Amino acid sequence: MKKIPIILDGDPGHDDAIAWVLAAASPELDIRAITSSCGNQTIEKTTYNAQRICTLLHLCVPVAKGRVRPLVSEPMNAPSVHGESGLDGPILPEPDFDLEEMDAVTLMEKIIRKSDEPITIVSTGPLTNVAALLLAHPELKSKIAHISFMGGGVQYGNWTPAAEFNILVDPEAADVVFRSGIPITMAGLDVTEKALIFPEDFERIRTLDNPVAAIVAEWLEFFYLFHRNLGYKGAPLHDAVAVAVLVKPELMESQELFVQVETIGDFCKGATVADFRSILKVSPNAKVLMGIDRQGFVDLLVERIAKYGKERRT
Amino acid sequence: MKCFPVIIDCDPGVDDAAALLLAKQMPELDIRAVTTVAGNVGVDQTTVNALRIRAASGAAYPIFAGADKPLFRERIDASAFHGEDGLGGVAYPVPKEEIPAEKAWDAIYRIAKECNGELVLIAIGPLTNIGIALAKYKELPQLVKKAVIMGGAAVGGNVTPCAEFNIYADPHAADMLFCSGIPVYMCGLDVTMKAFVTPEELDEIGALGSSQAKLFREVFQMGQKKYLEWGMKGVALHDPLALYYAVDDSIFETHHVGIRVETKGALTLGKTVTDLYSDKQMEHNAYIVMDVNREVFLQKVMELMKKYD
Repeated sequence: MKKIPIILDGDPGHDDAIAWVLAAASPELDIRAITSSCGNQTIEKTTYNAQRICTLLHLCVPVAKGRVRPLVSEPMNAPSVHGESGLDGPILPEPDFDLEEMDAVTLMEKIIRKSDEPITIVSTGPLTNVAALLLAHPELKSKIAHISFMGGGVQYGNWTPAAEFNILVDPEAADVVFRSGIPITMAGLDVTEKALIFPEDFERIRTLDNPVAAIVAEWLEFFYLFHRNLGYKGAPLHDAVAVAVLVKPELMESQELFVQVETIGDFCKGATVADFRSILKVSPNAKVLMGIDRQGFVDLLVERIAKYGKERRT
Repeated sequence: MKCFPVIIDCDPGVDDAAALLLAKQMPELDIRAVTTVAGNVGVDQTTVNALRIRAASGAAYPIFAGADKPLFRERIDASAFHGEDGLGGVAYPVPKEEIPAEKAWDAIYRIAKECNGELVLIAIGPLTNIGIALAKYKELPQLVKKAVIMGGAAVGGNVTPCAEFNIYADPHAADMLFCSGIPVYMCGLDVTMKAFVTPEELDEIGALGSSQAKLFREVFQMGQKKYLEWGMKGVALHDPLALYYAVDDSIFETHHVGIRVETKGALTLGKTVTDLYSDKQMEHNAYIVMDVNREVFLQKVMELMKKYD
């Protein structure tokens, strides 16, 4: 099987962490690098979390720290969702390796430049690093096969009525990505609010009886407690959808749409505006995920997390 | 339901015309006035059209003309859809009548006072007249029971990807209404696009026999072609739906929500931002109508049109 070479860019974050657990256990993917972004927590915290996750998973790939703040907007974090550490809950191993000395954008540039085949970027945080890469190195666009990201929502928002958190944090960066011309898959709230993991699913994962599974179950439980208070019946595993669509695209329903990002406004900053009725008469620029086979998604997670008991990845 | 006083603020407009034809036959409505505003076409033309429909329906309510342009923006129109005359080019006589000098916003306030808090505003055009009334008369919100509007959308748009015509035409006036304290019932594209009438159903109405039923069918002929080109099953009865909602909400799905209008966005100007479930709860100032039983609604439209001889 030909593997898809990817760079994981994210701001872990419980759902980023589980997205990476899924990616690292998926033979369809070849993780070339990991870069951190600021979003769910400060760049210091998300970078430390990225190192701890790689240590837990025995994932030996270069890890680099991303930009300390969004391109233009003021920084904002989500401690109410992910806790003060950005990844509250179970105790994780301390990092057993050093960060790259170069920053995230330089690492991305290097990986993409030296690769013989185009790279796919999977972003599960604000798109700051990805946009900085595209602005600084437009010549590399042809070597980026695809950008799959979690962010936005063509119907509603979550952080505000019109905007989803990752896009709201850095709307200008998202705007750069949507205008890039690179094939885009958008895993926004339209699909991720349907990617619910119910308490009985946590138990399936917990009984897998391997160290990673135990921690994933605790992360899910932590993530669920926050969402339960908002009236959710399960934990919406937003970020893992951006990985799952590469591993098992047949789980998803999608629509090709022209999407733009609102960067100003009293109420709509960070909204991903889709032209449902083709009013603008321009070609679609994104594959927008709209639905998911929830049970198939849970089964995929369980199947892949089970692998951590059988083999020790290096 | 007992009869209640209403003012219908409108910009006829083919679906406004259809709504006015239906309104005449609704025993629940005590129509105190029809006020006109620039929207689908200019206000001189929407006023002439209101006169034409009043004559056609045999009604006797007073008509007051209102704003000829939005509060702060340049005027846009929808003559591409409604025709240069705003009524789809129907051959229908223009009455030679004068209208009162009183302006729409003054009439709205005066009538609201006369109605002792019972007045329902049914606004099916851009909300400029109501915006001016709110600007001029600070006690107006206490005098109006509620406003039922056709406009906006929680999701999507029809003039831009995320704005509907009536709100986009005057977003500032719309936001003034949403902030006024008057309970607003918003029938936007989410529900009105579901209230389509197929060409066959429209022909059925047209064949009822009366001149009014014939007119109801005729005003939609031009717009119907566009809807069918867009892949819809028929023309949407936007304004009749909002009008009907005011007398019978039992066939609709309604949610109590927060709604504000974006007035500064680059792409989102005129979007009715609707807080159905975000983390940041807006004040619940409005009701959004999301669904309708189309078959029952069409049946009611048919029954009302049958009342014309």
